[in-house]
Amino acid sequence: MGKTETPRSPAPIEAPAVPEGTDLIEWYYERGCSDGLPVVPPTPEKIASAVTALGGEPARVVTRVPPRWGSLTREVLAINMVMAGCRPEYAPVVEAAMLALCSPPFNLNGVQATTHMASPLLVVNGPIRQAIGMNAGCNVFGSGNRANATIGRALRLVLLNVGGGWPGLLDKSTLGHPGKYTYCIAENEEASPFAPYHVEKGYRAEDSTVFVLAAEPPHSITNHYANDAEGILDSVCSAMSTICNNNAVSAGHCAVVLGPEHAATIAKSGFKRHDIRHYLWAHSGNRWDDLYGNGRYGKVYNRNLPVWYKREPDARTPIVPSPDNIHLFVAGGEAGRFSAFIPGWGHMSSPVLRGVGGAQPAGGAECADGTCAL
Amino acid sequence: MTKTVSVYDPRGVVDAAPLAMSPRVKELQGLRLGLLDNTKWNANKLLRGIRDQLAQKHGFGAVNYYRKESFSLAAAPDLLDRITAENDIVLTAIGD
Repeated sequence: MGKTETPRSPAPIEAPAVPEGTDLIEWYYERGCSDGLPVVPPTPEKIASAVTALGGEPARVVTRVPPRWGSLTREVLAINMVMAGCRPEYAPVVEAAMLALCSPPFNLNGVQATTHMASPLLVVNGPIRQAIGMNAGCNVFGSGNRANATIGRALRLVLLNVGGGWPGLLDKSTLGHPGKYTYCIAENEEASPFAPYHVEKGYRAEDSTVFVLAAEPPHSITNHYANDAEGILDSVCSAMSTICNNNAVSAGHCAVVLGPEHAATIAKSGFKRHDIRHYLWAHSGNRWDDLYGNGRYGKVYNRNLPVWYKREPDARTPIVPSPDNIHLFVAGGEAGRFSAFIPGWGHMSSPVLRGVGGAQPAGGAECADGTCAL
Repeated sequence: MTKTVSVYDPRGVVDAAPLAMSPRVKELQGLRLGLLDNTKWNANKLLRGIRDQLAQKHGFGAVNYYRKESFSLAAAPDLLDRITAENDIVLTAIGD
């Protein structure tokens, strides 16, 4: 029988200094400040570099992080960045992502505490991807790139250390998922036949943005036979239409990441982003009664779904309420006929798109203080 | 003297004063009972069942039922104000 570890709050840190020679990796482990992997022990020089990259003023509060509502000052953010292994030039992305996560539509309080497995997925667009060396190509969701790995890890360390999302205490996730260590990619704008995601949402191509979605892990979509948009997208629809992902029963938003080969085939058929999102919405979904055991457990209403969904045995139940709730990206290596469907948490959290360094959309989106509620 | 190295707290300060728990009531008879439904699937069934069992044993002055806007969000401040004004005791539950 497996052993279950008792949830433990991090111990208070009182000592500002320890004897030289102390094993600092073990010291931070003992105080519960780690995500489970060794942290990089912060030094005054590394913290100062990160604070400078964040704009100076170490005591300035960036945001407060639920559910603990700890104050994330620039210095505290810098400490977590260093611990995660970030270089200082990642600071604008990490800061913008934290502001996006803490904006009210995202409902980070709920995302952190839920029994569902959701974890924030971060997608970066614009020239900062290349400036800081992010990976948008081969193994984009996997290991091997410092920026992707440590930006995502820095967010998680902040959610743990400042937000208090410790498993078993304030994070009640039944299962969690591996993206709770790091879950950060960049769109492969160079390999994409379509406009970048942030341009579709009203930003200029030369702006950089962060997009956050409370998300399940990616589900692979294999299609090696179709040579047109419909064939590829029907496979995506099939992956979307599983009856147990959280969108199927709680609506909300989801993401679809097309591999470059699939994207090229789809584009050859003349489909634009708009057409893809509408096709996916129109041809995915489940029969109402299939979602609830074909009446075996009585009549189910499900208040999590929009009131306008038809609740009849043979009615089609959409995966998300609108084509606008499908967030479309192109990412991954140039070879391979694969894409991914990424279900969201549900209507309880809305994804947020935010300009890096205060970039604003050229027009059209509903934005305030650099944050666009989608 | 031993040389030292600096260590840092990554957790940030919490600027909130802890609230004390309300005193326990000794007698339910005549009190106004509030029920707060968090809108999860089975919260209403659970709360109504407990309400019915309690009502068999105690004569409440009033029983009031409230629903949160969403189970994943904190109750709105004006809803909390209403509940406080209209009740002596409150029962809440989630029901997944």
